[in-house]
Amino acid sequence: MISVIEPDGGVNGYDPGLTDEELLHCYRTMLRARVFDDTCMKLQRSGRISFSIPNLGIEATQVGAASALRRTDWIFPSYRDFGMALYHGVAALAMMHNMFGNASDSARGRQMPAHFSFEEPIHLYSISSPIGTHVPHAVGAARAFQLRGGDEVCLVSFGDGGTSSLGFHSGMNFAGVWRAPVVFLCQNNGYAISCPSDAQTASETYAIKAEAYGMPGVKVDGNDLLAVRQAVVEAVARARRGDGPTLVEARTFRMGGHSTSDDPTRYVPPDVLAEWAQRDPLERFERFLGKRGLWSAEVREGMLATAREEIQSAAHAAEKTAAPGLETIFSDVYADLPDHLRAQGEAAFDLARRKGDAIAGDGEFPL
Amino acid sequence: MAIEFKLPDVGEGVAEGEIVQWLVSEGDFVEEHQSVVEVMTDKATVEIPAPASGTITGLYARPGDTVPVGQVLFTLTPGGAARAAPSPAPVPPPSPVPPPAPVDAPAPAAAPAPAPAPAPAPAAAPAPAAASTPLPRRAPSKVLAVPSARRVARELGIDLSRVSGSGRGGVVRRADVEAFHSSGGAAGLAGTAAPAPSPAPAPAPAPAPAPVDAPAPVPAPRQTRVPFRGVRRKIAAAMTRSTSSAVHFTVVEEVDVTDFVELRERAKAIGAESGVKITYTPFIMKATALALGRFPMLNGRLDEEAQEIVRCHYVDLGIATDTQDGLIVPVIRAVETKGVMELARELGELAERTRSGKVRPEELRGSTFSITNAGSIGGILATPIINHPDIAILGVHRIVKRPGVVETPRGERFEARSYMNFSCSVDHRLADGADAARFLAYLRQLLESPGLLAL
Amino acid sequence: MPTLTLVQSVNDALRTAMRDDPSVVVFGEDVGPKGGVFLATQGLTAEFGAERCFDTPLSEDGIVGTAIGMAMNGLRPVAEIQFQDFIFPAFDQIVSEAAKLRYRSGGQYTAPLVIRAPYGGGIRGGLYHSQSGEAYFCHTPGLKVVVPSTPHDAKGLLIASIQDPDPVLFLEPKALYRSVKGEVPEGSYRVELSTLRTAREGGDVTIFCYGAMVPVATKAAGRAAESGIECKVIDLRTLLPLDEEGVLEAAKETGRVVVLHEAPRFCGYGSEISALIAEHAIEYMEAPIKRVTGFDTPFPNTLEHHYLPDERRVLDAIEQVHAY
Repeated sequence: MISVIEPDGGVNGYDPGLTDEELLHCYRTMLRARVFDDTCMKLQRSGRISFSIPNLGIEATQVGAASALRRTDWIFPSYRDFGMALYHGVAALAMMHNMFGNASDSARGRQMPAHFSFEEPIHLYSISSPIGTHVPHAVGAARAFQLRGGDEVCLVSFGDGGTSSLGFHSGMNFAGVWRAPVVFLCQNNGYAISCPSDAQTASETYAIKAEAYGMPGVKVDGNDLLAVRQAVVEAVARARRGDGPTLVEARTFRMGGHSTSDDPTRYVPPDVLAEWAQRDPLERFERFLGKRGLWSAEVREGMLATAREEIQSAAHAAEKTAAPGLETIFSDVYADLPDHLRAQGEAAFDLARRKGDAIAGDGEFPL
Repeated sequence: MAIEFKLPDVGEGVAEGEIVQWLVSEGDFVEEHQSVVEVMTDKATVEIPAPASGTITGLYARPGDTVPVGQVLFTLTPGGAARAAPSPAPVPPPSPVPPPAPVDAPAPAAAPAPAPAPAPAPAAAPAPAAASTPLPRRAPSKVLAVPSARRVARELGIDLSRVSGSGRGGVVRRADVEAFHSSGGAAGLAGTAAPAPSPAPAPAPAPAPAPVDAPAPVPAPRQTRVPFRGVRRKIAAAMTRSTSSAVHFTVVEEVDVTDFVELRERAKAIGAESGVKITYTPFIMKATALALGRFPMLNGRLDEEAQEIVRCHYVDLGIATDTQDGLIVPVIRAVETKGVMELARELGELAERTRSGKVRPEELRGSTFSITNAGSIGGILATPIINHPDIAILGVHRIVKRPGVVETPRGERFEARSYMNFSCSVDHRLADGADAARFLAYLRQLLESPGLLAL
Repeated sequence: MPTLTLVQSVNDALRTAMRDDPSVVVFGEDVGPKGGVFLATQGLTAEFGAERCFDTPLSEDGIVGTAIGMAMNGLRPVAEIQFQDFIFPAFDQIVSEAAKLRYRSGGQYTAPLVIRAPYGGGIRGGLYHSQSGEAYFCHTPGLKVVVPSTPHDAKGLLIASIQDPDPVLFLEPKALYRSVKGEVPEGSYRVELSTLRTAREGGDVTIFCYGAMVPVATKAAGRAAESGIECKVIDLRTLLPLDEEGVLEAAKETGRVVVLHEAPRFCGYGSEISALIAEHAIEYMEAPIKRVTGFDTPFPNTLEHHYLPDERRVLDAIEQVHAY
């Protein structure tokens, strides 16, 4: 398993190939991801949003991988990948709109929270709930780049549970046959809801599964931002020059539950949790930054305060934004509105008007 | 301004939670997102954070309590900085606040129920209850009828085009067909806006009972329930409308028809020579037309909208006729211009067409006065109900032989005489009972000396 | 004008679309050099190269999943599923992903793709080469479902489907692949989706059908005409979104309706047509709406011709509704 940052923060001369500014951007992103995650958990527990997905402890995997991509590459995320969105400049406010499912949500409130979709400033592909279905999508999109002669790369991210899915198998298989420019990032975070990763597969590792599909597999320390970055940088370079796909397994740990509906203390042994707490990815990176003179407690406190302020006001702004209009039930089903949906929309507006519901507006179907 | 914080659904369908412990006390200042209380649900044990910064003013559950989602857990007054002084004594726990009522304001202007379609008057008579051979299959017509109506019409041998539909737009429903079949006196002027008149004599003839299967062997049911809808209901509405608007006043006159009977016998023979069947009716029609000439205030209707009484200068008589298929009321036009023979011919031909189902809708409307003849059924007196919105109606009863007194120059003589009663109902708002009485008196004069009909 | 079989017109449509639009790519199992097990893609690899018409591994999930990825990134994929019976591994991709992508992303990501699949019985294919599964997919908002019955329509509908911005499931009646010939204009033309075709005019009974049942309906109508019953045969062509107004008009004209499909009866597409007419045109019905369908059984092999609705079964239904 590849590791770069020693426990004391030293890297034995390793050059991450990033400027100080870029390194601090990585760190700030991890902090913001943690604050965003924590804020969403609290919003959910106080009933202000309906659902959230913790990504505590997985920040280094997400940010490390994201840092290896260009803005023109496409990310096919799992629903836990807040850090990837934040790294490439997706606004916390845009993400909060999605958490609140309001009229400014790019998904128009149609999805559960945390099922983001962004095109800018980077393509962060629309997240769906079925596991693994997005893997062949990444391969198809990569194939399109390939056929057009471009050098863009698709990064697709999924958990250890995702490797059991049909989509993982189909996607890996097609990518191997096509030598498609894809990087498969398996975030092995220890659990798929309550199923431990060593009950998910009989394979020795997750990385070894790559061999079955004719591509290289690499296992890295997922709590080491630089190690993850290094592995993904190499995989991206391979793909860009036409040498095909790679599977990267990032070994990390899901410090929170699966989602806000899950209580991990019911199945995660407390000593396992305690052990992984020692390996917190933020603290590890702080030690590395400290050795470079880029970090101090003040730096952290300053960044944390800024992040809290930013995320908090994003949450408040999103909370105040109105709910989507009733017509959004009926739009975007098809490119054009078919007659039968128009009729249903009109009936919905009429019913809402008769119930005296303000969402009906004047009772006219506006599309 | 105070926030009543209710236990949220913390995990996709959680319905309740158990309070584990409070992490703050009343009077504490809390920051937004600060954990306030630990709650255990079947999904997870969670810490519930404060929704805003402010002061906790009341805690409303105890550790160990099971609280349903939506119940108030604590109250918080937002704003202000942390304060040292505790807040005043808490208000007593409110009764559990139910979850917010769904946005279910009563519809302000509820979609009005579609006004019941004005009843197209039920068409002609119901099919006889007697088992009749099914009518021959006709080419599919454009009668609007639900498929079930067709089945029943076929099973009962009813021509659907004679059934008036009670559905929206006049669609014939199964109930219409069944009511048509069972309602016996449910007559109407098909196609007119006027509802069913009641030329029926006072006790409406018992409707032919809807076909009822023989009840289970033992015990026989003590009741049968017939749905009160369809044609029956239409008739009921019409009756109600007529009697609740018109003020019915009935005068009954007894007429010595001995000479009339004799005249009709001789007329019958003459008519037979020309193939015309002559009954009492054409004579009565002729007499009625003459009488209405004298008493025009009985010949017409009320135009309620215009608030005008319409007096017609012609006499179109509706003749309620009991046929094999029941009661229908065809109209003979311009009776005042026709002689008895012609009336008899027309009546016979109309009756023939009625019996064979060929009478046209326009022949069933537009009467200025109606005659209802229940003589063949029975009864010597009735209080006929006016065909709304007409002014009056004349009922004709059976001939009875009784001993009578005849004035002769040599004194009174007793002999068997024939008598026929006539009941005339008028709408006392539009005409007077005295007019009806005078009308009948003149009618009697004409019929007791029927040669006067030639005048 | 050339006369083509239905499968030839499919081939013509693909070729025409690929010539007109370089973003159209065709792939699936055996569609490359072999040209497809029914030769629907014959000659395409030769003309357009292996980057535009190529074989895939044996993975319906992968075929449809990668098609979605290609479609969202600027290509117009036309994926073939070798037999509709084998589409089910891809059901999740079709229903959970392709059909919902535009909706869940507010239009940021869309899936303008076509999935072609031969469907239906009549070639002694037994349980797994004869299914008519259109009902599963018609229950999926966001998807379009198209079923041609003539060579002319097959080409025009397929071109229109390829050009459609939404995902289209294009079901080809394999029983008609070679048995039906017709004139097919050269070059590119569209038959618009969500339009009906009147295959035969008549004022007494309306028959709604699609796919391989259309010729069965018109033959039965011909026999009915001998007894003086004139049938209007409506080829539905696009099952989703359906031209509901057109259906209701055609039903009201005669008031006597027969709905015909080879798929099993229970919860089949005929249920939707019946419910639609019952809800909006019941007063115009002179008779009950009669469905003629496959039995509620898996598709048998030896007795296939008893399972599939034939002229006689359809004629019985015509006569029943007419005599009601």
